[in-house]
Amino acid sequence: MSVVRLAGAGFTYAGAAEPSLRDLTLDVRSGELVALAGPAGAGTTTLLLVAGGYAPRVIAGTLTGERVITARRPAIVFAAPWTQLTGLCQTVRAEVAFGPASHGRPREAVLAATERAMRQAQVDHLGGRDPATLSGGELQRVIVASALALEPDLLVLDDPAAELDPAATDALYTLLREVAAAGAAVFVATPDVERIVKVATRALLLGRGRIVKDGVPAEVLA
Amino acid sequence: MIGYVPGVSPLHRAHPYTPLATAGALLLAAFAVTTPATIGVIAVLAVALALLGGVLERVARPAFVIAVPTWTLLLVLHALLGPEPFGVLAGLRVSEPGLTRALVLGGRLTAILVAFLTVLAVVSPARLVEAMTARGVSFAWMYLLVSTLTLVPRLRERAARILEAQQCRGLTLGGSPLARVAALGPLVLPLVLGALVEVDEQVLALDARGVTSGQRRTALDPPADHTMERVWRVVLAVAVVGLFAARFAGAGL
Amino acid sequence: MTAVAAGTGFPVRWEGVRFAYAGDDVLHDVSLDIAAGESVALLGHNGAGKTTLTRMLMGLIRPREGRVAVGDWDVARKRPHQMAARVGYAFQHADQQLFARTVADDAAFGPSRLGLGTGHVAGILDELGLAGAARRHPYDLPAPLRKLVSLAGVFAMRTGVLVLDEPTAGFDRELRGRVVAALRRRLDAGVTVISVSHDLAFVRLVATREVTLDRGRIASDRAVSPSP
Repeated sequence: MSVVRLAGAGFTYAGAAEPSLRDLTLDVRSGELVALAGPAGAGTTTLLLVAGGYAPRVIAGTLTGERVITARRPAIVFAAPWTQLTGLCQTVRAEVAFGPASHGRPREAVLAATERAMRQAQVDHLGGRDPATLSGGELQRVIVASALALEPDLLVLDDPAAELDPAATDALYTLLREVAAAGAAVFVATPDVERIVKVATRALLLGRGRIVKDGVPAEVLA
Repeated sequence: MIGYVPGVSPLHRAHPYTPLATAGALLLAAFAVTTPATIGVIAVLAVALALLGGVLERVARPAFVIAVPTWTLLLVLHALLGPEPFGVLAGLRVSEPGLTRALVLGGRLTAILVAFLTVLAVVSPARLVEAMTARGVSFAWMYLLVSTLTLVPRLRERAARILEAQQCRGLTLGGSPLARVAALGPLVLPLVLGALVEVDEQVLALDARGVTSGQRRTALDPPADHTMERVWRVVLAVAVVGLFAARFAGAGL
Repeated sequence: MTAVAAGTGFPVRWEGVRFAYAGDDVLHDVSLDIAAGESVALLGHNGAGKTTLTRMLMGLIRPREGRVAVGDWDVARKRPHQMAARVGYAFQHADQQLFARTVADDAAFGPSRLGLGTGHVAGILDELGLAGAARRHPYDLPAPLRKLVSLAGVFAMRTGVLVLDEPTAGFDRELRGRVVAALRRRLDAGVTVISVSHDLAFVRLVATREVTLDRGRIASDRAVSPSP
């Protein structure tokens, strides 16, 4: 099932002279784990924001061309974990529960989704800790758990392993593969092509806002 | 120094609205009364609040740092340079109405400062969020209030990291007044610019977690709100209204 | 060719160092000797004590016991801004320090504080592929390039020791290559380089020695040959 479809889409940030994305055509289906790669400034972050529906709705700018998002529960994870903390929660458990609680889900469902997400992201042992005392790596896994607690059908991640050591990175990418296999569409932008190529089902190489290559990860990311 | 300090005092265990309402009442009362004696009572009540919260020591230092220069300025401007009639105090010629004014303004500042710092120290932002969620307060108001409460500790933590980074680039903090002013740029600018860069990401993260979903948030662990506390908050409101009524009726409070 | 260091590298030594954060020991009796001009990678899980060890070199934290020296300088007698004359410390998060209106001005901050003059800064920006961004505001650049700007600022201080905390985090192969090339030039000039990094590809290209920490102790210390 198509989750995100773009046809000739472009995006220009508010106040920018040049578009950050140009003439993008893309159809991503549930079950896909799409790796995004490209040099700094190529537009990978912008593509994540557009595909996830966050631009131009939250991040101001102009979207051209066609975009259809059929996902009902998108979630997003950025590289810098501390800016993604709500700042309103005293424990990791409350932080992870924040998303489903904001959607007004019943208390029991929120708690169950929270425990499941914490186990998946391997932060269940940190449940009672104050998020402000965690290391960068632990925090990044908590942010991933927070996104998973929303039970997303579209998950976009921008360099989610920036703070993780190699073993934790592999564990995260394996988890993303499982999330995709369970039916979500997952986009991951990362410079760590050597690792993501092992789990991605598809890869996009971006250059100057356009898709330069789209296909099998081992070929696109070589 | 400034910010939430975990504890088990009656104020910590109370419903978050209770210490907030008490401090708010003290703030309003401080403006309702106009004589040094009554302002003094309000200030003493604020100190009592800090004692009840077990945070008097924590609150005293920042209160002192802010209050002392302000008191000094007030006394100089009003007591020493104010209008006649004059009297003598500690060997100095002081303006009697000026001294009264300085005592009222200084006492008001002290009461508000101590009450506000106490609230910052005893109200857990997380419990406040849960309390507000249980009452159906919109996320925007909740975030505004709680972010303000946590602003200082967050900025302080950030400022410490920036200071380290710049010192490692050779920045010294001492020297002439001009050198000290020049040192502000490398310290303050990254604080502000870094915070602005993060605002976009924070907005996105919060949006992604559903704060704009339009649904009423589920309260997961709302703090208990005992009848006595609700009664106390009503009493406070009545007392404040009474004070203002008395003031406008001409009672010399 | 831009002179990469104002002098040769310094040896670095931690002797019987102990440190604790809020009660629990983070470093237990750690001793480590690094010769001048060596390239050492500090490895280990998050929380193993790597960053604690490097922060001690700048005097940002003081050991409870033991001694830290950079050349003939006992770090206990120095403040961080004084250590900056010998040790260039690249923090993991670039945004902590960028403040100037242009990339060039920001990179020139450290050398100007040290009284080194700033004529060489343009060469360093060029070396890292930032010449085109020299007149741009650092915060107009994407995060990986901001990090590269902060590295340029550290290189511009021309110190005999470089300590780099996750210098390639968020970098793709191309940006990593620029950093590796710049470090190799400095190693050739005799600068001592200490990296804390999870990027094993980077470590393999630069380090001649890998010291692994585990729960506050040195678990292994071995010589390695960097990849060409």
